[in-house]
Amino acid sequence: MSDSRALTNLSISEAAAALRRRETTAVALTQATLARIKETEPTVQAYATVTVERALESAERADRELAAGRDRGLLQGIPIGVKDNCYTKGILTEVGSKAMEGFVPDYDSTVVSKLYAAGAVLIGKTRCHEWSCGGSEPPTRSAWDRDRFPGGSSIGSGVAVSARSAFGAIGTDTGGSIRIPATLNNLVGMKATYGRVSAYGVAPLAWSLDHVGPLTRTARDNAIMLGAMAGHDPNDANSARVDVPDFLTDIDGGLQGMRIGIDRDYFLYPGVVDSVRAVTEAVIDQLAAMGAKIVEVNLPELEMTRETLMTIRMVESASYHRHRIREQGHLYSPGTRATLQMGEVILATQYVAALRARERFRRAMKNLFRRESLHAQISPTIPVSAPLLEDVWKPRADMENGETPTDGFVHHVYPANLSGQPAISAPGGFTPEGLPVGYQLMGRPFDEATLYRIAYAYERTQNWHERQPPQVYD
Amino acid sequence: MLMPRIEQPATGEASADPLLRLAEMLRLDLTEEDLTALADQLRTIDALEKEELGDFSPILRMDADWHE
Repeated sequence: MSDSRALTNLSISEAAAALRRRETTAVALTQATLARIKETEPTVQAYATVTVERALESAERADRELAAGRDRGLLQGIPIGVKDNCYTKGILTEVGSKAMEGFVPDYDSTVVSKLYAAGAVLIGKTRCHEWSCGGSEPPTRSAWDRDRFPGGSSIGSGVAVSARSAFGAIGTDTGGSIRIPATLNNLVGMKATYGRVSAYGVAPLAWSLDHVGPLTRTARDNAIMLGAMAGHDPNDANSARVDVPDFLTDIDGGLQGMRIGIDRDYFLYPGVVDSVRAVTEAVIDQLAAMGAKIVEVNLPELEMTRETLMTIRMVESASYHRHRIREQGHLYSPGTRATLQMGEVILATQYVAALRARERFRRAMKNLFRRESLHAQISPTIPVSAPLLEDVWKPRADMENGETPTDGFVHHVYPANLSGQPAISAPGGFTPEGLPVGYQLMGRPFDEATLYRIAYAYERTQNWHERQPPQVYD
Repeated sequence: MLMPRIEQPATGEASADPLLRLAEMLRLDLTEEDLTALADQLRTIDALEKEELGDFSPILRMDADWHE
């Protein structure tokens, strides 16, 4: 197996199997990925930094270890991208910010340490929006249509995996920043349960909403990555003391007996465009045909998730950036600086009200899951397919209430950040124009395994995940 | 993370004057347009504060007992 493009088209699972059959080597996988980066970067600009020498050294080590019988698991020798808000010892970490230009951490974030321990090859740092929020746009472009929005803030992670210039990538998700790039790039993105993956060494946006997770091309690959990334970390005060299961154990267990909720009033509201609605209904029908019971549910508390999350986010972001902005405000783009400062004028009592509203929402969601014996709740990941870049912040022509595409994004993805429950986005189909559409599953805390099981069951009935983006294959 | 409301042009429905004085006092580098957008944002928080939250303590504690 020597063809470079054939190698980069492999899933993590396939590459790991090929390594163990000695059909390829970690060095070959890494060289193929570096070649792919060279080929695609002029078009997509997914990477902030490419770590050529380190990657090749890691790959050589992985090959030596595998040859000596030291198997660290299925990520060993696999090239992985890391969002540039994750600290990497000795490697530039600029968080998309001029204020961080030239910053080289002297320690690794826990999630990066865990990837190294699993034998993964860090191929580079992927671009993100400035400080992981949307005040300015990186140069990264979608591999599906360069004129359309590829998501954010884990924009480079999504595009790199989609463009086959990484086998998987780490993203972070404070308000959808793993799941939005996942759906817009035809990927699987997991925002695991709050506390499941350590956030130590990750530049925060809002401590109590930040989640770290994987973006991959298949559900199985995602389960492999999360298994390597998850676990209690004494360096992170919010890290959960919960055992990490092998997420692959029951992944092919099927859907018999599964109960999956759908809140049509909220998640299929009029802002959901026809093409996305059709894909979502097709996914639901398929899950039902495979044995899942679809349960109609209604949770009025969803309506306040946006105000609640934004209040918490603004205050926590303002706290983190307060001193730096006063000293280096000129190194923030104006939009980012404003959105990171505004929280300073929110009253402490208003912040506490938001924390209480979060607890009310979390309890309501929990009661819904228990009352209906739900294993998951399904929705479109976002109400629209990828908008044109110039339309992302503009009112939609088809909506009379001034709703923008971004309004729709947050409507669907904020709830799981607020509740802290796990949520996955997986490929559900395509629009007639050939743009990817994802569906979202929200689950029970620390039960990511069930979400993988559902996503894997659906994935096996379709080939959406095998479709390749046209912009970098022409 | 994408944050739409405060990125949008302000509606101008809320006054930024008190916020302007507060921003000056806090040495915040915000434009009048930013502050008008912020005033709109604060109005949404007003709605949040009017909610009945008497039984809910401000604790985030993820538990694993949703299965029961």
